[in-house]
Amino acid sequence: MISSRAWLALLGAGLSVGLAVGCGSPSAPAGGSSPPVLTVPLSTSLVTAQGTWAVLVMGRSAASHNNFWQLFFQPTGAIQWSLVTPEGVADNGGLVAAGGATATSLLVGFRPSQGLAFSPLAASSDAGKNWTPGLLDAQLADVPGALAISASGQALALLHDGSIEEAPTAAAATAGHWSRLSTLGGLAASAPGRACGLAGVEAVSFGVGDTPMAAGSCAKRGVAGVFAETGGTWQAAGPVLPAAFGGDQVQVLGLASAPDGTAALMAAGASLVAAWSNGIGGSGWMVSAALAAPAGTVKASGFGPGGSVWVLLAGGRAEVIGGTGGAWQALPDVPAGTQVLARVAGGGWEALAASGSNFSVWQLGTAPATGGSWVRGQLIVVPIEYGSSG
Amino acid sequence: MPGMNSGLNPADPTLVSAFRSALLHQGAIALLIIAFLWLVWATARAWRLTTPGAKPASGARARARRAERPAEARARWLLRIGFGVLWIIDGILQAQPKMAGGLATQVIEPTAAASPGWVQHLVNWGGTSWSFHPIQAGAASVWIQVGIGAWLLVAARGRWSRLAGLASVGWGLVVWVFGESFGGIFAPGLSWLTGAPGAVLIYAVAGALIALPEDAWRSPRVGRLLLGGIGVFFIGMAVLQAWPGRGYWQGTLGGQPGTLAGMVQQMSTTSQPHFLSSLLASFSSFAASNGFAVNLVVVIVLAGLGAVFLTGNPRLVRYAVWVGAVFGLADWVLVQDFGFLGGLGTDPNSMIPLILLFSAGYLALTPAPAPVPASAPQEAAEAPAAPDEVVVNGSERGAWAPRALGGKVATASASSVAALAALGVIVLGAAPMASAAANRTADPILALAIAGGTTSLDAPAPDFALTDQNGATVTQASLRGKVVLMTFLDPVCTTDCPIIGQEFKQAGVMLGVKDSDVELVAIVANPTYRGVEFTQAFDREEGLNTVGNWLYLTGSLSALGKVWEAYGVTVENLPAGSMSAHNDLAVVIDRSGNIRDELPADPGPGTTSTRSSFSVLLSQYARQALADS
Repeated sequence: MISSRAWLALLGAGLSVGLAVGCGSPSAPAGGSSPPVLTVPLSTSLVTAQGTWAVLVMGRSAASHNNFWQLFFQPTGAIQWSLVTPEGVADNGGLVAAGGATATSLLVGFRPSQGLAFSPLAASSDAGKNWTPGLLDAQLADVPGALAISASGQALALLHDGSIEEAPTAAAATAGHWSRLSTLGGLAASAPGRACGLAGVEAVSFGVGDTPMAAGSCAKRGVAGVFAETGGTWQAAGPVLPAAFGGDQVQVLGLASAPDGTAALMAAGASLVAAWSNGIGGSGWMVSAALAAPAGTVKASGFGPGGSVWVLLAGGRAEVIGGTGGAWQALPDVPAGTQVLARVAGGGWEALAASGSNFSVWQLGTAPATGGSWVRGQLIVVPIEYGSSG
Repeated sequence: MPGMNSGLNPADPTLVSAFRSALLHQGAIALLIIAFLWLVWATARAWRLTTPGAKPASGARARARRAERPAEARARWLLRIGFGVLWIIDGILQAQPKMAGGLATQVIEPTAAASPGWVQHLVNWGGTSWSFHPIQAGAASVWIQVGIGAWLLVAARGRWSRLAGLASVGWGLVVWVFGESFGGIFAPGLSWLTGAPGAVLIYAVAGALIALPEDAWRSPRVGRLLLGGIGVFFIGMAVLQAWPGRGYWQGTLGGQPGTLAGMVQQMSTTSQPHFLSSLLASFSSFAASNGFAVNLVVVIVLAGLGAVFLTGNPRLVRYAVWVGAVFGLADWVLVQDFGFLGGLGTDPNSMIPLILLFSAGYLALTPAPAPVPASAPQEAAEAPAAPDEVVVNGSERGAWAPRALGGKVATASASSVAALAALGVIVLGAAPMASAAANRTADPILALAIAGGTTSLDAPAPDFALTDQNGATVTQASLRGKVVLMTFLDPVCTTDCPIIGQEFKQAGVMLGVKDSDVELVAIVANPTYRGVEFTQAFDREEGLNTVGNWLYLTGSLSALGKVWEAYGVTVENLPAGSMSAHNDLAVVIDRSGNIRDELPADPGPGTTSTRSSFSVLLSQYARQALADS
């Protein structure tokens, strides 16, 4: 047994230590603020030879496993939308759709979520009536431009780590036969990648002649990071932006096949610009005027037929460009819940909104009676199975 | 915190029933231990009285010597009895039905959540061990605390009593670190009002004082030092309470209740008798309206008490003890909500132990004059039995001879025997927990709580011919001669299937048998994504592609449909972005191709502990099938 003197000394020391640690104030967390990063929501619309497709999220936004992404389709010349979400996989992680203006099929990728670590695919060549299951044994990136498919069926996939995979045919893509086209590091280390200080890849597409293209964000100010792969070599293929953007960081938000070329939507500082190329490998760019859009205000974006471009901004703002080389045009503020704009036959615009299980189509009336405001059209009640993925 | 949360409802009837059963079972053993010790002791005493050559007077001499000893110091008596009772109360609180399933998530995890990462990491280790073995851990906590309390109460003097104090220190520190996350001293919002520096740290301090040699209590030095320490602590708490920017000076903050009012208001909303919640709500309103005044009173009283304790003046300290007791009791009721109400309380919080501690400090400051014994029987006071009573022939070897051992037992005091019984009760809880903790897999009780009962069958397993992940054909007949653990998995499933795959993989590791003995088999449960490329992707995703005895079978939709129907599995695609739905099922097929057991394989929350638990359950069934064949 320890002596009483030793015990008292131990007790005193213990009380002192206890007091010292007990009265310590918690330290403030260290670290500084990071520069804002633009995230591009998955909600979007695109046009193929068969019609217009829209991707948006529905359900109960409070719990991610009760949010289900849906795919809607409107055939060319029709006015009704229908639900064509491919079945068999929980799509809580998000859907990515790809299909160029001249493509005859649509390729859809399911982003991984919860315990799923790879990306199942689904392809349809009959307007979403039947789907062929496919596989990308990797994690698809969380951007709307993560998949691309050419008119000939060649496919590109952007992975979450910035790598790019390619499949020579649609059949190979669905069979899971993908091969590595590039890594982020490889592209960043290429001559054009070094010239732009490539920080990340945000979209893939096909240019004229089915040239694989990639776009992202550059650390070097005033440079648009658009690249084309020809003969196994990446080349700079981006537009030269006006000198006014020389001090701005440029991030490509979207890249799409356009008639005879490529269309791009870029954030340059606190502005958005659209650009169109009609040359092989992305040469001969036309750049739109700037649209004021501070960082973080872009809620969704997409491309329509004829080089048209749309963006949804915070506060219900909607801005569109009707076609290649056009100017930004403000639409009336969109209805609550609008996630996507779609260009429809006749050149009009529709706002696609979701609230819980309800999918609403709002048409921009042009008749004098409507005063150019949004008019509710079709309503689809989507049979969401809440709790099926939780 | 990974591992700590089993994800199960603490009120799960399977867990509650198992906990109750364990307590009853171990309680019966505790009674047997006590009865056995009493029987041995009584028998030895009777034998000693009737044996020629024994020393019948020696017991009387020992009693006489004990009577000559100075009385136990009042301060020590107060600590021993007070904390003995508190440990027993804590043990009883640990026996609440939800404690086994709920302590880790409802007590440990919330306490640790506000602490720094290293504290969370350390606490997570203990919490994970609890969540893996909730029944053993819950029962161990009950018996260890009841045992320590009983030990303190029955062992009044000598070595046994001091050892009880040390036991209190040891277990108190374990609970303080793992149960209270160091009493929250590293978390923001620390306050004397809410229990700083943690109730069980006070238990540990009291235990250390009880473990002091008894002569230390004969002078006022212990009292002065103890009160001095408490005085410094109170002044430190007063400074902390007065520190600006912690929200205690404001009754409201931005229209919301301030720090103290908010805590009390939150406490008042928890489940408890209505009059108590009303009382708390009233005090919360009062604190919100008079935040500055309330905090000022707290700061002044704490600082004043601290200053008086530091003086060591008995007359002033006496008044301070009364003020401190009244103030502490008020806080115990109005802020701490008696410590154990309004949730899964494990102790009465800090106020009662603190009042006991400074009251003991006052008593130690003014020790009662001790009667001076005629002789100095210090050795007798320290030992339960005098040397001449236990050594028969003077040799160490002889001391363990049956006759000497009998003499040793016969002359032991009743309190020594009772202390030994209390130690037995502690061991009764600690030993199974130590054994369980050494096992790094979770108990199957968690899986049984999720899956419910299993069904024993004796029916031929339906035949099939499907393709494995390597393209080879596999039939039910080809699996004969092996024990088969079979389930149905969707290769693109986001929730249950990856977990079940991991459970099967882990079960295979646990079985540790040759590939030729057990086959782990999954059959695709998705009508669309059913190609071999998907089973291969699933295997790579879950690391099953390196498991030698793993088969993931698929086939045409018609072939799969027949197997699903034969095994009672319903598979269908759900619309609008939902996964393909199927029921989770596992079957155990013996070497002769008969289904022996069928169990629901729903992995529940899929936490670390439930996954491990299912793996244990599956491996147990497979072992049984192996053993029976």
